[in-house]
Amino acid sequence: MSESLLDVRNLQAGYGEMPVLKDVAFHIGEREIVALVGSNAAGKTTLLRALSGVLSHSGSVRYAGEEIANLPSDAIFARGLVQLPEGRQLFGDMSVHDNLLMGAYRRSDRGNLDADLGEVYRIFPVLGQRKRQLAGSMSGGEQQMCAMARALMARPRLLMIDEMSLGLAPAIVDQLLDVLQSIRSRGVTVLLVEQDVYSALRIADRGYVLEHGHIVREGRARELADDPEVKRAYLGV
Amino acid sequence: MNLLWQGIVNGVLLGGLYALMALGLALVWGVLNIVNLAHGALIMLGGYVCYYLFTGAHIDPFVALPITAAVLFVVGYAIQRRLLNLVIRAPMFNTLLITFGLDVVLTYAAQIAFSADFRTVNPSYAGANFSLLGATVPVVRLLAFVIALALTFGLWLFLTRTPLGRAIRATSQNLVAARLYGVEPRRIYALTFGIGAALAGAAGALYGVVSQLNPYIGTSLTAKSFVIAIIGGLSNPLGVIVGGLVLGLVESMTSLYIGATYTNVASFGILVLVLIVRPTGLLGRTA
Repeated sequence: MSESLLDVRNLQAGYGEMPVLKDVAFHIGEREIVALVGSNAAGKTTLLRALSGVLSHSGSVRYAGEEIANLPSDAIFARGLVQLPEGRQLFGDMSVHDNLLMGAYRRSDRGNLDADLGEVYRIFPVLGQRKRQLAGSMSGGEQQMCAMARALMARPRLLMIDEMSLGLAPAIVDQLLDVLQSIRSRGVTVLLVEQDVYSALRIADRGYVLEHGHIVREGRARELADDPEVKRAYLGV
Repeated sequence: MNLLWQGIVNGVLLGGLYALMALGLALVWGVLNIVNLAHGALIMLGGYVCYYLFTGAHIDPFVALPITAAVLFVVGYAIQRRLLNLVIRAPMFNTLLITFGLDVVLTYAAQIAFSADFRTVNPSYAGANFSLLGATVPVVRLLAFVIALALTFGLWLFLTRTPLGRAIRATSQNLVAARLYGVEPRRIYALTFGIGAALAGAAGALYGVVSQLNPYIGTSLTAKSFVIAIIGGLSNPLGVIVGGLVLGLVESMTSLYIGATYTNVASFGILVLVLIVRPTGLLGRTA
């Protein structure tokens, strides 16, 4: 197993008096693609919100050897943990170009921005053609590309993606999964949180199944995809 | 015809200053979702800072303007960090209540500190004017107009061309996403309120040159700024210029053809009309 980049133990979080995550533990190795799958309301988004520092939580979150539990979101972002949130959460009244620049808001190496912008426009040519268009006026697939491009502009070390495939055409999902494979080869670690179990396990190295705030299964992605329980519950076979 | 032309010139010159007055209110409202009822009081404070720099330190009011803006920036930053941060997520009623209280405190503190006397920043060139196609153009009003437009354009450039400006716009549009991408909302809120107060200070400095100061001018200036922000829309500083010009022209024409006592009726009539026809403001985009 590769060295752990993220090691989560006994993580608990919720909203008000309502607990959502109960004693969650998992780890992600450097340069891995890890899928976290589960049905609606399993706690997947809550987990990402806690890891990103926008939801208070208890337990241990060690990232690159440092305890980062309950650090503020900007401090977590500055360490290279970047979240691509569910529903894209673009800045809809800002241009595509400005959205991408917001991805690089905390970067100090501003001299490299043009090169990185060129790179994301090469990966997603449609964004290059629409760089002056308001992000909120694009189609769902284009918005997801913009959201991913914005995340890449942050130069993430660990990219956490929430429901990337939601509402997208299969061809777009395939294109985005190819991008994930490509950025992993450049050293980015990926945590892919998905309801679309088939897509997630197709490109992941390992996977976890989250149910009612607990990790109930874990293993190699292929093993999970072949697990009869997972097949029955999530793949409908 | 000459009367109409003079009215248009007066209205446009007044509108530029109005736009600057409203700019800070619209910025704070758009980003923090706070309708700052103390905005007019900050304009009033700016006027007094400029007045005392002029009468006490003999600094020309147009030179004193950046100093006034800087002083008000510090005041605004402190108000946001120490007071408004307490109600930043609260319902709008709470923010209205706290800014109303702030307005009262600032107004009566100004009365104690400066007295209720009327004061004017009156440089040697205050009476200078020239003729433009038959209309009289007061030099100080033209200077105030040009500075107001320059500051508005400068704010637009800042918001659209700088990382911090983009962060302010991003925070106003999607707070959660802004936080996820490294923005510190408290810092952005304090900076935004500071900038809004600085713009109010600059407007106050110019107001003191073209009109009279007393501690009670804040309420009517807040009301005018509110009307302009609604007419122009909250999302675009250039819309505030349009709103300011519309209000300036409406007031000027009403004063000229109907009577000065009816200017507020006309201003709020225009506000109601805009809210009915284009609720997002003249330059605001529809959903």
